[in-house]
Amino acid sequence: MRLVRSNLQRLIRRPATLVTYLLLIGLILLIYLAIVVAAQQAVDPQSALASRLILTFPDAWFLTLSMVVGLGGLLAVTYGASIAGSEWAWGTLKASIARGERRAWYALMGIAGAVIMAWAGTLLAYTVGIGAALVGANVIKATSDTLLDPANAGQLVVLLGRAGLAIAMDVAVGFTVATIARSQLAGIGAGIGLYLGEGIIGVFVPGIIRWAPFAAVSAMMSGADGALGEAAVTSTGRLDPGTATLVVAVWLVVACGLAALWTERAEISG
Amino acid sequence: MVEAGAALVTRGLAKRYGKRIALDGLDLRVPAGTVYGFLGPNGAGKTTTMRILTGLIRPDAGTVELLGRPFGRGDRRVLFDVGALIEAPSFYPFLSGRENLRALAAAGAPVPKGRVDEVLTLVNLRDRASDRVSGYSMGMRQRLGIAAALLNDPKLLLLDEPANGLDPAGIVGMRDTLRALAAQGRTVLVSSHILSEVEHLADVVGIVAHGRLVREGAIDALLAVDGEVRIRVAPGEVMIAGPVLERVVGAGTVRLDDTPARDWLIARCDPSRAAELNRALAEAGVFASRIEAGATLEALFLEVTGTGPDVHGGTL
Repeated sequence: MRLVRSNLQRLIRRPATLVTYLLLIGLILLIYLAIVVAAQQAVDPQSALASRLILTFPDAWFLTLSMVVGLGGLLAVTYGASIAGSEWAWGTLKASIARGERRAWYALMGIAGAVIMAWAGTLLAYTVGIGAALVGANVIKATSDTLLDPANAGQLVVLLGRAGLAIAMDVAVGFTVATIARSQLAGIGAGIGLYLGEGIIGVFVPGIIRWAPFAAVSAMMSGADGALGEAAVTSTGRLDPGTATLVVAVWLVVACGLAALWTERAEISG
Repeated sequence: MVEAGAALVTRGLAKRYGKRIALDGLDLRVPAGTVYGFLGPNGAGKTTTMRILTGLIRPDAGTVELLGRPFGRGDRRVLFDVGALIEAPSFYPFLSGRENLRALAAAGAPVPKGRVDEVLTLVNLRDRASDRVSGYSMGMRQRLGIAAALLNDPKLLLLDEPANGLDPAGIVGMRDTLRALAAQGRTVLVSSHILSEVEHLADVVGIVAHGRLVREGAIDALLAVDGEVRIRVAPGEVMIAGPVLERVVGAGTVRLDDTPARDWLIARCDPSRAAELNRALAEAGVFASRIEAGATLEALFLEVTGTGPDVHGGTL
């Protein structure tokens, strides 16, 4: 546990953490600002209604979460990559291994620390997002009477859990790519490439890409319905949420396993 | 088989990077409680050896014993008693010196509370311990690296170029610290290019070239065996003096210096035999105009590694 504690103490001080948090919160606030402006200025009644719906509770709980996981996912990949890459670039991995630390354990605890920080950032951004949605609802005079709707609480808890799983998997994938590349920049670049590339390739081969990590996250966050044992693929061609959750969990385990294995077997020089 | 009295033993250590041979059967024996100077030209295999000794890379062949215990894959706990500074010191630039040591202390061997400040004091970095490492000079980073190596109070210390970037006071301080550690029975292996520093610091040296050990032993003994006596005689008496000297120190051990005047004879022998050689010459009626005796680690290093300028004249 001392490794995780030390990782957290270090990551709190790390500029990359602050930058990632600010970026995510800033983007969320910008999006809400744009939505409020759109709701007020839209001449098309359909657009105005759509903007109002985003700011209307209880839907705002889910839409904000979806936004935070979408944007936060990409940032989580780069965050994980920057942490793993810097361990190689700064030689700090080398120093720890030379002290007799277990290689695989060091990698796994590195992922754990980054995941916890990413969760904290996501939660913070979600809180700020909900606050922004409330302010936005007030500005456009949308009702907030249904802010606390017990009927939706269960579904929200399930989705929050899945969001945590998604962020963990994103961090782990970024961490693993950078571990394999042994470079911060290569890891971040490859992570973003993987994230965006998946969407592009999905246009051409959706049948395969729906099993890919980020597509699975998207399917998992599409609703709390669906459970294992039901049809794995929905009518829209994406995985049902239950299957997608399992796929994301598998990707998380695979990413952690690869990072551990790679660190275990690596020849550490430089 | 574990060797008694040795803190570090390697046998037949081999490592290859593609076609390049980094280590070619390296046999080292570092006696416990000594400061061991690990010398060699660039690319001789010193850093590769250090990396193998700390488990960063694995040898293609050969065995390693650290502190009397076999060290191989999965024997990481042996490293709990080893401190190492390999190549450049590695730190998180956004953390202070103290925070970096605390972060490092969380990995590997447990470190007692208070040890971080203890080693910071030892390397004279306590005053700047709260500053970010990104603002440290090269010498300060190096001192912090040495502090990091000392964190777990190691029985065996492996230092790769520890004097890099240190100012003269820092070098003297480091030398005193390492000598004090050896006096406590700890073993220190120092790889360095500053041969005069190693000569001051080390009890024993091992010189590697092309991935093999080419000379190993106590410095005094090596310099005695590999010492030389330089004798200047009149140019016309060189052909008389040469055989006289060879009769004393042995055939094939005397050569002519390659200076333009060609009036220096160099006898390879224990420098303490200078008077004996002088007497032999005088008895033969040849009087030396100048005699210089002694040897330096640098001369020995250049000779055994073959990296120095070609200073050999013709052998008499």
